[in-house]
Amino acid sequence: MITDACICPRPRGDSSVRRMALEAHELGFDSLVAIDAPTCEYAGVSVMSGVLVRGAFAQEILPRVKRCKGTDTVVIVEAGDSGFNRAVLAMRGVHVLCGVHLTDRYGFDHVAAKIAADSGIAIDISLAPIIHERGATRQRALDRYLDIVMLQRRFEFPLVLSTHARSVLEMRSVREISALASLVGLDVGDVKQALGNAGRLCSPEPAVQVIQ
Amino acid sequence: MTVRPPTLREKRRYVLVRIAPAGCIPDPKELYLAVHDAATVLWGDAVASLIHPAVVAVENGCAIVRCRRGMERELAIALSTVTSCGGQRIALRTCATSGTIESLRERVASVHRPKPPSSGGPAECMIDGRLFMVCHCAGQKVDVIEKGFKNTTRFFLTTEDLEDQ
Repeated sequence: MITDACICPRPRGDSSVRRMALEAHELGFDSLVAIDAPTCEYAGVSVMSGVLVRGAFAQEILPRVKRCKGTDTVVIVEAGDSGFNRAVLAMRGVHVLCGVHLTDRYGFDHVAAKIAADSGIAIDISLAPIIHERGATRQRALDRYLDIVMLQRRFEFPLVLSTHARSVLEMRSVREISALASLVGLDVGDVKQALGNAGRLCSPEPAVQVIQ
Repeated sequence: MTVRPPTLREKRRYVLVRIAPAGCIPDPKELYLAVHDAATVLWGDAVASLIHPAVVAVENGCAIVRCRRGMERELAIALSTVTSCGGQRIALRTCATSGTIESLRERVASVHRPKPPSSGGPAECMIDGRLFMVCHCAGQKVDVIEKGFKNTTRFFLTTEDLEDQ
């Protein structure tokens, strides 16, 4: 499943979830994670419900994460400082840690990468700063992503790619995402795997599989 | 000025891009400035001069952008970072690359183009208690703009969204 790991339809953005699903179908996606939208299927695109959780302390976000437990909602938590990130990455029920490019250099280090790999929580590489930002902000984001990709190669935690699109105009095709991701050192194989990871987050492979 | 023989001419490639949203026809000069700015900001002056981008034509909701041969990837990445043109929000979707403009002109017909506005649909609609005007309608896609001269934000919906309201 080729999935855009985070889009923000209306009321956060200017496009309805149905319109974004139509656009995603044209752009080559099979599924989407839509924030605050119900799980549905439209135009052959499966829309997964997502929730974006932000908070200053891990204790603050815990009730919201617990509320989503047992549902098929993708829980995405916005990254904070180093301690917050480590606590979130060890938390059950969290699927994705996003906004790592906005944290300081030590916000996501080798220790956090190891925890992410152990707990199977994906780190989100949002293409929004690469597409929309200019100058120092974009350079800082590219630098942080290069660091994340380097850690990913070492610790093999899952990566997901997203556009964080609030409008159909902010969505990009799979080919464009692949080209943009090459700026941070991801090759075609890495991109394919990252786009497929979001679909696997909610239904991870069981630790033991019975083969008949 | 004498024309250079073909063997000494610079080899060029042409990239066909679809302009979103449908119905938006940017001024070619404005589009050139937007593409040039995106390439320069992303790659820097040195690589932008190697890409040598230029907007050759804007027609039927598509644009043909020229670049130096071998720099198509850099141009395509720069094109995907174009978010506005002349103060209007746009997106450029890369469709095809070719060595001649003529072959891309043939491709323009095959690229998905906006269908004519459906006559049966409503011209106005109410969403969340506010009055909107349908500005573009093609298939299931409906673009609306809030009525009034203050707010001109375009919303991207579907026919089903309008039926639900």
